[in-house]
Amino acid sequence: MAGGSARDKDAIPSTRYPGYDVLAKWRGPDWDAQTRMVVRRRVEDVPRIRFLTEEEARLLEAVSARIVPQPDRVAQARVPIVAWIDEKLHHDWRDGYRYEELPPLRETWRLGLSGINESAQLLHARQFVSLESLTQDEVLARLQRGDAPGETWTRLSATRFFRDVLCLTVVKTYYAHPSAWSEIGYSGPSSPRGHVRNWAGGVDPWDAPEERE
Amino acid sequence: MTERPLSAPGIHGERTPMRDLSGEEVDFCIVGAGAAGGVLGAKLAEKGFAVVLLDAGPHWDPTRDFVSDEVGSRQLFWTDERISGGRDPVELGSNNSGRGVGGSTVHYSMIAMRAHSEDFRRRTLEGDIPGAELRDWPITFDDLEPYYEEVERDLRIAGPTFYPWGHRRHRYPQREHELNASARVLVYGCTALGIPAAPAPVATLSAPHDDRPPCVYRGFCNYGCTTNAKSSVLVTYIPRAIAAGAEVRPGCMAAQITHDGRGQASGVLYFRGGDPSTLHRQRARNVVVCGYAIETPRLLLNSSSSMFSDGLANSSGLVGKCFMVHSGHQVFGRFDERINQYKAPPGLALTEHFNRTMPDANFVCGYAIEVVGPHPVDFASRVTTARGLWGTDLRRLMMDYNYWSGVGMVGEVMPQRRNEVRLHPVERDQYGLPVPHILFTYHENDRRLIAHAIDRMEEIMDSAGGVDIWSADRTAHLLGTCRMGLTRDDSVVDADCRTHDVPNLFICDGSVFPTSTGVNPSLTIEAIAARTADRIGRSSG
Repeated sequence: MAGGSARDKDAIPSTRYPGYDVLAKWRGPDWDAQTRMVVRRRVEDVPRIRFLTEEEARLLEAVSARIVPQPDRVAQARVPIVAWIDEKLHHDWRDGYRYEELPPLRETWRLGLSGINESAQLLHARQFVSLESLTQDEVLARLQRGDAPGETWTRLSATRFFRDVLCLTVVKTYYAHPSAWSEIGYSGPSSPRGHVRNWAGGVDPWDAPEERE
Repeated sequence: MTERPLSAPGIHGERTPMRDLSGEEVDFCIVGAGAAGGVLGAKLAEKGFAVVLLDAGPHWDPTRDFVSDEVGSRQLFWTDERISGGRDPVELGSNNSGRGVGGSTVHYSMIAMRAHSEDFRRRTLEGDIPGAELRDWPITFDDLEPYYEEVERDLRIAGPTFYPWGHRRHRYPQREHELNASARVLVYGCTALGIPAAPAPVATLSAPHDDRPPCVYRGFCNYGCTTNAKSSVLVTYIPRAIAAGAEVRPGCMAAQITHDGRGQASGVLYFRGGDPSTLHRQRARNVVVCGYAIETPRLLLNSSSSMFSDGLANSSGLVGKCFMVHSGHQVFGRFDERINQYKAPPGLALTEHFNRTMPDANFVCGYAIEVVGPHPVDFASRVTTARGLWGTDLRRLMMDYNYWSGVGMVGEVMPQRRNEVRLHPVERDQYGLPVPHILFTYHENDRRLIAHAIDRMEEIMDSAGGVDIWSADRTAHLLGTCRMGLTRDDSVVDADCRTHDVPNLFICDGSVFPTSTGVNPSLTIEAIAARTADRIGRSSG
């Protein structure tokens, strides 16, 4: 369920860079010690849930799987999202700004998550997690449009929460992961070697090689 | 004292001995060791003054503290709470908000442009724009030109042999960098439309200098340079300041500027090491605030007293007012060839063709167009917030990440009274200090300018061969809030950055800009700081 529907599977194109694994360069001249330390933690030391309740974590898992669906990966290979959002909330790491219509970080997330369930209940008389993925998408699309039902959204801007908090955080978490870097052919860390073939079409030997039809 | 002698990180992983001035009444206490504070610290210390620089963040060791990773570089940005409001609330905490010694020059895009002579006379040239507070600067381009030369020399700016805009100038100290693919997109697109374009002058070495190597085109310039090719203040002016006897004291969050019974500044109270329970005091004969356009007015407003009930240096009521950014909207297009927009410094080419008041336009002032080069987290953030993409649509677009290329604008924004930095009435930070509340709404002139720029950027991407073109809202830089001017009722500081109200209190950073200009501000901030050091170093101490 959390991996997405059959429809997703067809919709996500395969990578242009099959076989490319950015982590294979781990011991090479592109990964300095401090970068290895930061990325090792992201890959190997996924924190346990400490801030969100079990129910909130399950809900956010289902929501994240719609924002960035990963049907092309088996469960163990999926990029973890909820654990890192929970860590941010656990430490109360702020972003350096907060739109004035939003309450403080933790409150925004708690309120937003409960609002998603409220909308799901009002629209479909069920918890968000037990909806079909297409129906889940419809609920989220109503948040995005600002016409999701629920008392929560009179206190919290649904569009602001959806766009600038929920989507932004989930998407940033996903594309910070080496698995995402590999799939899009991003060269990744580059210290100390740097890049050489910087012209259009330029591919360094240590860049992601491309298989073109 | 039996404590070990002080030292600071050098730029090659070594430690540099440093004076300890914590017990002394210093000549200058500078709050904020960024673009302006670093330049001032170096120059004042070299003139023989006792100088302390306080910075809220760490003193970075570039060989150990910077990582080749977007999310792992979060520490370089000011992420304390700030409330952002108005009709066009500004996104903070990333590109526009540095923290730590070197300030945002540690993560800036290094584009080293001069303002133009027209930029210092906007009130005279444009007249009265309703709702806007255009002002002439109390200094002219000619006043600043020798200081532009000085900082360009100190930073070893690498630029083109011929730069098509602005005053005639000497050669840049170093040759231009070879253009990466994204920069060629801008140049091809402009050229096809008959728009002149040029390699950007940038503050990263194209040839060895001192013991710093040339750029290896890592492309992580916005996340700290690990090789020291980047001429940040951290690796240029800060080592000079320390060598000349200044103390750079990291981890110090200024809470209040104190004054004596005659209304003269007497020092700075600050928290150290994140400990909110103890206030430390640095006594000083002069205080210079270099905290950038949010923290600077915040500190002045937090320093109110019975003698200065509306905040320090605020008899004009202008502290915090006329907050400005640059409109920084970006346009992206997808190309047939692999661009790899993350390679090499992000802004290697630009055009200033539209950086002027155009006779046939329905707005005044102008903008620069520059290359941008977001890494995946930044790029995906734009895709989801600007295009509203998520789910499979988002992942599909991102599969072509290497084929996207972008340009962004640096657009002049009108100074307006209603845009301001003020203290939040209730919310407090981790030290118990009122958090800043920032209000920002674009002026009608700004909106027209932005629309014009987006059209031009889309044409450029189109004529370069880009498809599926889209634009994203963005801003860059923080300016205004303590403008310089000739009279005490219409400005906060004079032409030498001395506050009108408190003769031994200075403000020197982007806050003093009366108007925003249409170029990246770092070089102008540094030039003003270099000039201020000469001016106040003559009369103070």
